[in-house]
Amino acid sequence: MSLELVVFAIASGLAIVSALAMVVVKTPVRSVISLVVTFFALAVLSILLAAPFIAAIQVIVYAGAILVLFLFVVMLLNLTKEAEATDRRPIQKLLGLVSVVALGGLLLGVTLRAGAPPVPAAGGLIPAKDEIPILGRLLFSDYLLAFEALSVLLLLAAVGALVLSKRRFD
Amino acid sequence: MEGAAMNAVVPMTVPLNAFLAVGTILFVIGLAGVLLKRNALSMFLSIELMMNAVNLLFLAYARMRGDASGQMVVFFVIAVAAAEAAVGLAIFVALFRAKRTIDVDQIASLKW
Repeated sequence: MSLELVVFAIASGLAIVSALAMVVVKTPVRSVISLVVTFFALAVLSILLAAPFIAAIQVIVYAGAILVLFLFVVMLLNLTKEAEATDRRPIQKLLGLVSVVALGGLLLGVTLRAGAPPVPAAGGLIPAKDEIPILGRLLFSDYLLAFEALSVLLLLAAVGALVLSKRRFD
Repeated sequence: MEGAAMNAVVPMTVPLNAFLAVGTILFVIGLAGVLLKRNALSMFLSIELMMNAVNLLFLAYARMRGDASGQMVVFFVIAVAAAEAAVGLAIFVALFRAKRTIDVDQIASLKW
């Protein structure tokens, strides 16, 4: 068994277990922490898939920025009290579980049956250490419009968040 | 597209289907969270998990095909998720200030 397989097994097991913990655990703070663990495991999987840049921004942006923001809001709203609010809807819960299992089986079957896409011809391929220049070139050529739109979107999100938190809702 | 070519020369030791299975399982776990949880913040967390599961599938196919465009898509998804989290959390804070709860069962003003 190769080292890569061992790393894959550990990382994917950790990701799935902590994702399950995120759903099962009742306290929002613990959910966020388990999701951080999931994201770190996903970063390991990204490195296995020869995407170190994505792994880095996964850790910095997702685990570092977005989930800290979540944690901040959880603490700000002091959500521990309503965590144990009893669920009075057994039928809806059962229906949700049934549809999750059904849709999950369907999705798993479809993705695994889709199989491998045709691999392009192996000419002119570039080794992994040159990955970030390739991404940079793509970002500023083929994806330039999307990149500019993204910068506008981030500006709008910042302004929107500010407006939403300033306005009084009565 | 020559510029998008990546390192597909090295064969994958872990089969593609294993990555696809892990990504799909994570997606379904996130789906379960959205359907079963009643706290808006936990549902939002589950949506983040679903996006990351799809990202994993994108990366797996990008690696398989040796095409960096898949990684570009993941980059954009992460950036959009950052914007979404900022606005979504601001909405939750505003909602909490108005209603003193973010339990989705109790916020039903838009129902009917």
